[in-house]
Amino acid sequence: MARWGMVIDLDRCTACQACTVACVAENNQPVAGPQESQKGRNIFWNQVLAIVEGEYPLVKARFLPRPCMHCDEPPCVQVCPVGATYKRDDGLVAQNNDLCIGCRYCMVACPYGVRYFNWKQPEYPTIENLNPDVPLRPKGVVEKCTFCVHRIEAAKVKAQAEGRELRDGDVKTACQQTCTGGAIYFGDLEDPNSQVAKLAKEQRAFRLLEELGTKPRVIYLGEG
Amino acid sequence: MNHLEEKYLQPLMHTGSKYYLTVVVLGLIITWALYAYFYQLIYGLGVTGMNTPTYWGFYIVNFIFFIGLSAGGVIVASLVHAFNIQKFKSVARIAELLAISCLVLATIFITLDLGRPDRIWHLLVYGRLGSPLIWDVIVITTYLLVSLAYGYFGTRADLVKCMGAIPQKRRLYWFLALGYTNTSEKALRGDRKILRGLAIIALPLAVALHSVTAWIMGLLKARPGWHSALLGPLFVVSATVSGLALVSLVVVLGRKLLKLAIKDEIVKALGSLLFFTIPILGYFLFAELLTVTFAGEPAALGIFQEMVYGHFAFVFWFNLILGLLVPFVILAFPRARTDFGVGIASLLVVLGVLAERWNITIPSQLHADHFLPYPHGVYNLTWVEYSLVAGVYALGVLFFAICAKLFPLVEIEEGTPPEERVPSLAEVKKS
Repeated sequence: MARWGMVIDLDRCTACQACTVACVAENNQPVAGPQESQKGRNIFWNQVLAIVEGEYPLVKARFLPRPCMHCDEPPCVQVCPVGATYKRDDGLVAQNNDLCIGCRYCMVACPYGVRYFNWKQPEYPTIENLNPDVPLRPKGVVEKCTFCVHRIEAAKVKAQAEGRELRDGDVKTACQQTCTGGAIYFGDLEDPNSQVAKLAKEQRAFRLLEELGTKPRVIYLGEG
Repeated sequence: MNHLEEKYLQPLMHTGSKYYLTVVVLGLIITWALYAYFYQLIYGLGVTGMNTPTYWGFYIVNFIFFIGLSAGGVIVASLVHAFNIQKFKSVARIAELLAISCLVLATIFITLDLGRPDRIWHLLVYGRLGSPLIWDVIVITTYLLVSLAYGYFGTRADLVKCMGAIPQKRRLYWFLALGYTNTSEKALRGDRKILRGLAIIALPLAVALHSVTAWIMGLLKARPGWHSALLGPLFVVSATVSGLALVSLVVVLGRKLLKLAIKDEIVKALGSLLFFTIPILGYFLFAELLTVTFAGEPAALGIFQEMVYGHFAFVFWFNLILGLLVPFVILAFPRARTDFGVGIASLLVVLGVLAERWNITIPSQLHADHFLPYPHGVYNLTWVEYSLVAGVYALGVLFFAICAKLFPLVEIEEGTPPEERVPSLAEVKKS
């Protein structure tokens, strides 16, 4: 069984935020609108964080795309009272929106802030353009990055139909597909020959907040 | 009816227009809160001030506040049964009633906070024993059952007496006593034994209740400001102080408004107990803040600075000065341990602990940049939150007011010396 993971090469990231937009479109994320956005009610499963270092004129800005880390020791799964969020065998941290009671305990427990709450009835700019592969979430539940699990499942089915094993590169997440700099890689970290497994061994590789012991499955390659 | 029973039953017989006015006002507040709740149900939790990153707001502040306030019941019960200080028996029922109502209010607050209250039964059906929230569900339920049992066994003998004294409400008391009518000496002794047993169970259970509530927050490594081994003990101490203060406040108010037959020395004793517990809370807060400042870890230090001279400075200094220091100074003078002195001091302590709860819950979340460079959050209460919180408070007061008219809040004592006798009902009416 594959153990999915992601590598993000910060040297290649241009902070264009196309990944954020692609993710919103792919995963039917509701749009908060300017007013609610001001109040901090946005939903961006993959957000690009800006890190500003120093003062003008000696200022440097770094950017950090932040999907769900799909931790191997996920604090959110540890605290969920009803098991609505759980760890799958293939390494994904999944969210069952039919079980979620909306207590938001997982949100305070996540050190990365990857979880989003539906503060109101979700609204979409157009209904026709919703992705039929991704279920809509009702108001009052928590949602988060799924590593495009619907694409993973579709790739598995396709490989099975063609009577072959899943190959490296069969699954492309929406953020990866749209990334203008080609900074995002996705694949099986368990397979030593996969691109992500090789990149993860690079000297520049690091994980976010490793010291907390969450064992993230998203690996960053630091800027050179 | 003899004069003794009359002394205790007077609040039940005599209901003034002010009482009815209070009930109507409380009813109006609750109705308004119901409207606010339907509004929240329809439009979602977005009608509150909560947002990313303030995932938990005023409802959770009140949840931990009321869990803490429920401690009064077990303190008084253990004073009576474990330490055998019989004089506190007269306030045991009030304390237990407060414990029960505070626990119910806390449960209401957690329900208000849910995004999907229609799925609250998931907690029972799909509950995961690994989650601290489920530990809290278990311990709150157990504690509530023990409190209810304590309240029942401590009251049923008096309910039987009421059956005799107020024949027109015989059925009601029969129902409240669950059909029990035995008042023989042997049965009373049996009741006392059960009460003693329940008090012994309740003490460790109370420690568990307050610790588990703290651990909901304290076990999260993602939250500097919460993630501290001291949080459990701090909650136990905060609960003791605020619970004791609430009992004192209600005793003082009950003496004044409901003319409850509670002696002066009880107020004095409650005042001095409160005096000795306040510094323990002060010490715990100091220990926590010293550790944070000395270590100077940026994440926790940032939250602390925000509390001391930042956005939350008012709440912090209110807690420290008006909530701890001023009541401590007032109660330091034995002469000030009067109804007024103890009343003011305990009111300040209760408000101070509410401020402390706010500063535990909110600042750690607003400072979203502990680890990752998220912008600082803002949290402004909306009318929905104010209305709902006011409504739940009103519900608590209403519950207490109704109980005050249903059964005697003070245990009916046999053999009170004649000089303690208060004027009988007929005499009161004459004057």
